[in-house]
Amino acid sequence: MDEEPERAKRWEGGYERTWEVLKEDESGSLKATVEDILFQAKRKRVFEGHGQVRLGMMRHLFVIIDSSRSMEDQDLKPNRLTSTLKLMEFFVEEYFDQNPISQIGIITTKNKRAEKLTDLAGNPKKHLAALKKAVDSTCVGEPSLYNSLNCVALPSGTDIKEILVIFSSLTTCDPANIYELIKTLNALKIRVSVIGLSAEVRVCTILTRETGGSYNVILDESHFKELLMLHVKPPPASSSSECSLIRMGFPQHVIASMSDQDAKPSFSMLHLDSTGEPGLTLGGYYCPQCRAKYTELPVECKVCGLTLVSAPHLARSFHHLFPLEAFQETPLEEYEGERFCETCQGELKDKCVFTCLACKKVFCVECDLFIHDTLHCCPGCMQTDRTS
Amino acid sequence: FRLNIEGLLVYFPYDYIYPEQYSYMLELKRTLDAKGHGVLEMPSGTGKTISLLSLIVAYQKAYPLEVTKLVYCSRTVPEIEKVVEELRKLMDYYAKQTGAKNDFLALALSSRKNLCIHPEILHANIVVYSYHYLLDPKIADLVSKELTKKSVVVFDEAHNIDNVCIDSMSVNITRRTLDRCQTNVETLQNTISRIKETDAAKLREEYRRLVEGLKEANVARETDMYLSNPVLPDEILQEAVPGSIRTAEHFVGFIKRFLEYLKARLRIHHVVQESAPQFLKDIYEKVCIDRKPLRFCAERLRSLLRTLEIADIADFSAITLISHFATLVSTYSKGFTIIIEPFEDRTPTIANPVLHFSCMDPSIAIKPVFGRFQSVIITSGTLSPLDIYPRILDFHPVTTASFTMTLARTCLCPLIVGRGNDQVAMTSKFETREDFAVIRNYGNLLLEMSAIVPDGIVAFFTSYIYMENIVASWYEQGILENIQRNKLIFIETQDAAETSMALEKYQEACENGRGAILLSVARGKVSEGIDFVHHFGRAVIMFGVPYVYTQSRILKARLEYLRDQFQIRENDFLTFDAMRHAAQCVGRAIRGKTDYGLMIFADKRYARADKRGKLPRWIQEHLTDGSLNLTIDETVQLAKHFLRQMAQPFRQEDQLGLSLLTLEQLQSEDMLQKIAQIAQQA
Repeated sequence: MDEEPERAKRWEGGYERTWEVLKEDESGSLKATVEDILFQAKRKRVFEGHGQVRLGMMRHLFVIIDSSRSMEDQDLKPNRLTSTLKLMEFFVEEYFDQNPISQIGIITTKNKRAEKLTDLAGNPKKHLAALKKAVDSTCVGEPSLYNSLNCVALPSGTDIKEILVIFSSLTTCDPANIYELIKTLNALKIRVSVIGLSAEVRVCTILTRETGGSYNVILDESHFKELLMLHVKPPPASSSSECSLIRMGFPQHVIASMSDQDAKPSFSMLHLDSTGEPGLTLGGYYCPQCRAKYTELPVECKVCGLTLVSAPHLARSFHHLFPLEAFQETPLEEYEGERFCETCQGELKDKCVFTCLACKKVFCVECDLFIHDTLHCCPGCMQTDRTS
Repeated sequence: FRLNIEGLLVYFPYDYIYPEQYSYMLELKRTLDAKGHGVLEMPSGTGKTISLLSLIVAYQKAYPLEVTKLVYCSRTVPEIEKVVEELRKLMDYYAKQTGAKNDFLALALSSRKNLCIHPEILHANIVVYSYHYLLDPKIADLVSKELTKKSVVVFDEAHNIDNVCIDSMSVNITRRTLDRCQTNVETLQNTISRIKETDAAKLREEYRRLVEGLKEANVARETDMYLSNPVLPDEILQEAVPGSIRTAEHFVGFIKRFLEYLKARLRIHHVVQESAPQFLKDIYEKVCIDRKPLRFCAERLRSLLRTLEIADIADFSAITLISHFATLVSTYSKGFTIIIEPFEDRTPTIANPVLHFSCMDPSIAIKPVFGRFQSVIITSGTLSPLDIYPRILDFHPVTTASFTMTLARTCLCPLIVGRGNDQVAMTSKFETREDFAVIRNYGNLLLEMSAIVPDGIVAFFTSYIYMENIVASWYEQGILENIQRNKLIFIETQDAAETSMALEKYQEACENGRGAILLSVARGKVSEGIDFVHHFGRAVIMFGVPYVYTQSRILKARLEYLRDQFQIRENDFLTFDAMRHAAQCVGRAIRGKTDYGLMIFADKRYARADKRGKLPRWIQEHLTDGSLNLTIDETVQLAKHFLRQMAQPFRQEDQLGLSLLTLEQLQSEDMLQKIAQIAQQA
């Protein structure tokens, strides 16, 4: 097998083409160029998705996971299914971290059928449990794009606007013409995105193009993760969707101590359908409309259907409406001023520095990433706001 | 936009240009300047047609006295339509840019139903039609003989031009032909006797004309009006039609005698092969037919049909064929052979005698074309090796060049698979082609590929029989069933209707995500005329080297002739022929720069330098040493990697400046230097 060209080796996939840019510096060290590559990789994510567009805040996303025979392929380790489910767990956590008042649902497809793994829900726990369980399932037969898309689009009245398909197979077994379904999806304004695990399939290209989604094919595991993470950020709110007011409840957390005589232990409404966990608790969130009790937020009230959230949740989703502008990038040589990052106080050593356009404060790469991915507001601006 | 190509102003109707197009036009202009012939190879999908059209039209506008007409020959009706479409775009652009009313007349002759009568051709500046109008003596006479000398003739998709030439000069006569000819003769006889009663003067007039000889034609040729016709050799024009066939009845009687002789010749039990002089000697001894009247047969028949005012020439195709045969056999003592076979090789029990009058020298048919027109351009996506075409067509080009495809990403991936995972060599070599292990390995290759290639795969076999054997064997081994789990399977057959049905379903399956495999045959309909763009052909697998069936007597005779006359060794020609077909097959997958596809050569013999070296340059370039003798596993790894790479987003901006240029980019010094390297002179 030694004739096999090097580029085919998995473990070299991540650094493909890198030897072309590797150059020794004067001391014969490669360190500078390696750092350069890492730097570029970091920058990539910052650049992507930093348009000045309003993003949707309340998302309803269905993820369709192909579990057909092709998921047993071992080009992702240990195999495609396990790897995908692992990444999905991570994705679900990130998703709820970034979109606390959104919901997600998971569907698997195999053996020409579609199967709902979890229903649309705003609580990560259930999804994570289901994903963990799915690792042991066997991968058989062919997937059916039609059936799984139909499974999402069919129940009318739901306001699903996004579907993400993780598609490993190269064929789909459809009971009817899928192009008709694509038209329907288009009419319902459902955006379908696909992440392919093996190669570009025509029907997916059409599907995503018609519905306005994105279509990507993974190169390797790290690329897969990158692509998946792109879907954590909400897609731009379509201009046609009018601003709608949504009724929400902000329940207060009632804390009852054991010593309090009046406190009676009670069941959370969520425990009605989950059997495993112990039921009786003392305090909780009470729906302001019907007084049903819940232990966790966000949730949709089982009784009156009100969306229950906490204020911080809403605040965290809020930034999608007003995304933080990208910072201006200047090479270190051209930058004149204090060589310390505003936030971490570390020395500016990377090739570039980042300046907030509003407050003119300077940040390093790491902080720039942190600010844009996690904080969503500029610490420099916050400071000047307060002092003025 | 407007281009300046060595002082010539060329209007180009697109906003962007490929570097190789510029290079192509450059070479083309030099050819026209030199008033010589050219052989140009450029991969399909790089805009050959529009480059040709814009340059030649510009040339015509700039030097109206040097070049008066463009004759553009293509192969099939859809291709002709494509040319017309591009031409229309170019003309619209001219109108928009110059504001002047278009004074160019273009004419396209595609099929019989819109066949045109010639006076118009005389005035058209551009004529687009099929090869046959120029090469086939039967049609060329009707359509093309009045084209002026100062024309530029372009043969597009010309990689098979030698076969077209040969076919146009060869005659096959079966019992059926003779029977139909018999009917023709009877009809003629009746018509003649009827006319004799009603309008005897007409026949007398014809007789008088024939005595005077074919002077008119001769005058015309000398004054350079007509394209000479290989069926009508120069000497006949000097002479009067011999007395023995001058009157209509005598001529019909003569034909009858000739027919009887042919019938007798077909009554044989063993194969006979003889040269034209031998045949003439035999015919003289048996039925006392001389060489001279035979030579006038074609011309005499034409005259007769004209005199009798027979409108429907198509009914007389059989007798016309016989008359052509008579003229050809008596005119050319070299370059032809006569083979009479009592039955087909495949069905030795069924008597089906055929007389093959086979042309072995393609230069005979094309000679008048090269001789007459000042520039003849032969171009195609696959013309390698470039030096062989001038040799077999017997002409001296002033330019021979091969252009590569400049690519922003490597969108073709040629791989040579030499062995299976069990290390058994994979080859369609005659001795091992029935080998169980080879067939199984071929099956495994297809199975593995069907699992990793999206949408459509086209697989080519070397022949129908070989395909049938292999598919039957795969069925027994259960390989077929496994493949069908991944993709549907469609098969090309010799039946045209069946094949087009299969093609339609194949495309449907590629379109809706089911995925499909088309099993077809090199040299078949699918391998030549049908493009598999994008998802219709993500991979082409060539099972074996598509050598022509070497046991055929016609081929053997041709090979011998090539060796004696052109010093081309049999093996060289066979390899050249096999490789051009292989290149045609695999080239089906790449139809442009945004397209991508795998090209899998499944035979270890492809790795040899003599085979590899005969692939077009644009394929060879991407054939690295690492992909010469792969196992199936290695192929799968490489293919997977390639397909993932190609699936990454690819936008027009990625191409700009590399493989797609704006006018400014084109004019930069750097780029001009790079462009100079695209063309490789042979």
